[in-house]
Amino acid sequence: MGHSDGDHDSDLSADDSPWSEGSWSDDDEGSLSFEGSGEGSDAESDEPDAAAAEESDSSEDEVAPRNTVGDVPLEWYKNEEHIGYDITGSKIKKRDREGRIEAYLRNADDAKNWRKIYDEYNDEEVQITKEEAKIISRLLKGKTPHTNVDPYPDYVDWFEYDGKGHPLSSTPEPKRRFVPSKWEQKKVVKLVRAIRKGWIKFDKPKEEPNFYLLWGDETDTADNKRQGLSYIPAPKPNLPGHEESYNPSVEYIPTQEEIDSYQLMYEEDRPKFIPRRFDCLRSVPAYEKALREGFDRCLDLYLCPRTRKKRINIDPESLKPKLPSKKDLRPYPRMCYLQFKGHNGPVKSLSVEATGQWIASGSSDGSIRVWEVETGRCIKVWNVGGIVHRIVWNPSPDRHILAAVVDHDLLLLNAEVGDEEVQMKTKGLLQIEELALEEDTGDKKPAVKWVKHERFDGIMLIHHKAVSTVEWHFKGDYFTTVVPSGDSRAVLLHQVSKKHSHHPFRKLPGLPIAAVFHPSQKMFFVATKKFVQVYDLQKAQLVKKLESGVREISSISIHPGGDNVIVGSKDGKLCWFDTDLSTRPYKTLKTHSKDITNVTFHRKYPLFASASEDCTAYVFHGMVYSDLNQNPLIVPLEILRGHLSSDGRGVLDCKFHPRQPWLFTAGADCVIRLYCD
Amino acid sequence: MDAAGASDPSRQVRVRFVTKLPPPLRAPLTSIAVPAGLTRMGLSEIVNSLLLAASPGHQAQPFDFLVDGELVRLPLQEFLLAKGISAERVLELEYVKAVAPRKQEDPCPHDDWVSAVDGSNPSFVLTGCYDGLARIWRDAAECTHVLEGHSDGITSARFINKGETEDRLHVVTASKDRSLRLFRFDTSVTIPKHIGAYKILRGHASSVQSIAVDPSTDMICSGSWDSSIKLWSVEGCEEDGDAVSVKKRRTNSDSSGPEESQFEGSATSTFLGHTQCVSSVAWPEQQTIYSASWDHSVRQWDVQTGKESWNMVCGKALNCLDCGGESSSLISAGGSDPVLRVWDPRKPGTLAPIFQFSSHKSWISACKWHPSSWFHLVSSSFDGKVMLWDLRTAWPLASVEAHKDKVLCVDWWKGDSVISGGADSKLCIASGIEIV
Repeated sequence: MGHSDGDHDSDLSADDSPWSEGSWSDDDEGSLSFEGSGEGSDAESDEPDAAAAEESDSSEDEVAPRNTVGDVPLEWYKNEEHIGYDITGSKIKKRDREGRIEAYLRNADDAKNWRKIYDEYNDEEVQITKEEAKIISRLLKGKTPHTNVDPYPDYVDWFEYDGKGHPLSSTPEPKRRFVPSKWEQKKVVKLVRAIRKGWIKFDKPKEEPNFYLLWGDETDTADNKRQGLSYIPAPKPNLPGHEESYNPSVEYIPTQEEIDSYQLMYEEDRPKFIPRRFDCLRSVPAYEKALREGFDRCLDLYLCPRTRKKRINIDPESLKPKLPSKKDLRPYPRMCYLQFKGHNGPVKSLSVEATGQWIASGSSDGSIRVWEVETGRCIKVWNVGGIVHRIVWNPSPDRHILAAVVDHDLLLLNAEVGDEEVQMKTKGLLQIEELALEEDTGDKKPAVKWVKHERFDGIMLIHHKAVSTVEWHFKGDYFTTVVPSGDSRAVLLHQVSKKHSHHPFRKLPGLPIAAVFHPSQKMFFVATKKFVQVYDLQKAQLVKKLESGVREISSISIHPGGDNVIVGSKDGKLCWFDTDLSTRPYKTLKTHSKDITNVTFHRKYPLFASASEDCTAYVFHGMVYSDLNQNPLIVPLEILRGHLSSDGRGVLDCKFHPRQPWLFTAGADCVIRLYCD
Repeated sequence: MDAAGASDPSRQVRVRFVTKLPPPLRAPLTSIAVPAGLTRMGLSEIVNSLLLAASPGHQAQPFDFLVDGELVRLPLQEFLLAKGISAERVLELEYVKAVAPRKQEDPCPHDDWVSAVDGSNPSFVLTGCYDGLARIWRDAAECTHVLEGHSDGITSARFINKGETEDRLHVVTASKDRSLRLFRFDTSVTIPKHIGAYKILRGHASSVQSIAVDPSTDMICSGSWDSSIKLWSVEGCEEDGDAVSVKKRRTNSDSSGPEESQFEGSATSTFLGHTQCVSSVAWPEQQTIYSASWDHSVRQWDVQTGKESWNMVCGKALNCLDCGGESSSLISAGGSDPVLRVWDPRKPGTLAPIFQFSSHKSWISACKWHPSSWFHLVSSSFDGKVMLWDLRTAWPLASVEAHKDKVLCVDWWKGDSVISGGADSKLCIASGIEIV
């Protein structure tokens, strides 16, 4: 499309340019606006588009827009020398402005002037051709730009309507008509599931006959049960019987005598209603008590609180802890079959030999006796001439040494039982040189002096203060004595083979009561008044401190496994400690009414026993499981009675037989009893 | 019967008295109706009066009555009810002489507890005492010999009755001094009275509790507190015993001094298996030894192999054991409870006792079967009683309460007496027990 310079129309300035420049008419469509012809733009847009498409091949290449600044506001260049840049990047200089008069004159001279338009962008004047002017004028009139375009052609219908029943869409069948519907399928799946689960039922539920128990107790109906507590129907009044009939049979009518006898009855026992006969219903009078009874009934219903009582049916037996039956826990000592009589004073202590053939006992009458268990015969007596507080047989089966606390000191004796070899060995152990006691003279009075006891061929250990108790180590070489008032030398360890003593425990939290060795390890238990201290003998340090929570500990015994400790107290309580579990008692058994004098474990059977001043000894089943998750099982088994009280004292000591489930008890009534299974 | 006529006629039982007793004690076989409430004594009276009617010189005596091998211990009616026997038919009552001691002989005093007694010799009684002496009592009245040597109490003493002449006695004793001693002496000579052992058997580590002599009297077995059973030869090692004794005597001479002209013997074999004191042994047959122990077991040992062939745990520490009964195959044992139990080792599959007798009040210290009867047992207990038992009833036939203290040992003597020794240092003899 050739542009002729010269004619310029200021009215159609920049907006007209797309028409002349077909190449960017597409881009500028949005900003295109003609005055006065808004609606025509759509219809006419086809034509110049098509024309531009036609002509673009030729014209666009020929005349490229000079300016390359793009779609920027042109006022940016208003004060510049140039209007933009050409394709090579060099500035396009503005043309010199003609003066207005010059322009007027030139325009007045030029007949084609009305066809000239100033292209501000490229800073040039463009002259439109007559055809173009024609198109514009047509557009302004709202017609199609080209004359040869018929905007309203006749409609040619390609479909034949003749013989067809109804109109059909001309559109081809969509694809969805041929594929199964996804949504329908989902819906079907839902329904199928509902049918399968029974949410949808096809056959109507059968109409159930709507009978109900007219006179039935409503409290029991299923309806009420389902609703729970919500509704409690009032109890029904009694139904009328035959006697309430207006014309009851003769047998219901009380005789005059009976009516009279009612007067003799108590008010409450009198029948409420006396039947009467009437010939017909018409002659029945008004019921005189109707109002009264109605009122009473209402009062009853109103005042009587009808609440459903929730009663929990718990068998009290089921609340008891499940304990195994005593029969299953046999054997345990039950009956006293044998008594060892001979002492003349309360038997304060007894001890069983390691094999269980003999027992030794010490009494307040100043004698130590050895008895044969089998027959109850006393085979040896030593009159030591002092109260025997405690006697312990050496646990080793090849040394029959008795350690006895006589008055304030300790006496080691040869029990003189068993075969010659053992007796010789024991004798050898109890030999002591006189020198041994001399070298012990230290800073102050020595804690212990080992002195030969001439009369009984034994050894006397003279302590600085009174000894209360003695206990052997399980191997039979060491033993310990407790001197309660000994301060820093309160607990002493002695070795028989070396005749040596020392006191490893300087500080103790309170008065020591008893000290025992661990049955298998190098541990040591010291019971003070309230605590049990567990020491490691090898490292010489405190390992544990068990808090008993009792008033005063009187005795202690270690389970043969070593992890469980029982402690008897002066207030009759027995505490079982599981040292692995806690430092507090696992169980505290309050069984005795008086002081517990001694507690002891059986070495083979799961039994333990406690002896008390109340003349009884209790036997318990104390099972310790190797499984650490299972707590020890403690079952009280038997109360052993038989000892008599003497001076308010009862059973003073108890010891188990090492091999049989038998218990020996030493009583203040001078008797030792053997309880067997 | 006038006695029957007095009571309610509806409560009568027709009985017929039968017996295995010899003819003078045989009642007529006619059936008679007796009151159903009659006890053993009433029945006894009837039989006695029947016998008196038959032979006028009859001495009345008590009888015991058996119905179907069961002794009648309740009134007849209750007995029939308890046993479910019909009272309609004629009841056959077998009567036997009542077993009960009729006479208590004078006790033989000892110096200490009598812990062992043996009555297997009909003319002598052997007792062991806690003073370490064993004594021989002729006719259970006069102490003819004292067997000395033990340094501690004797626990068991037995006659080794050789088939030789009766006036030579052969005795073994066991003691708490861990040794066994053999004595041999002539009973016709009472001087010297004190006899020393000709042979000492040592080897046990602890006190010997019980001894038993084998039926052929060649061997002795002993059970001890050291939980072993040892077998000793009586005669066989006498030759080599010489050799042993020379050595032994030399080593022994330092400690136990003046034991000369004595042989020493050692055990021929040792049975190990018990874990605690073997309290009693019995040797009923040549090849088997039974032992009871404080480890709660009764074991049977095969003598040839020395192996344990049968083992039974009873749950109580056992003190005594004896074999007897039918073909001496039943075992009776008692221990640390008042129940005397009888087992049948032939019964398969069960270790439950077949009989339990529980009338004692304390430990049972000894039990013995009657040498000839299958049914009769005697037991002694620490409650001071000696009881006679019959397997056919659970009640004791008789209870001898002659002892003031624990009874430690008991035995039958001459088949009709019970001899028992106790902690009251007496040997008591209850005689006149007629067991036919």
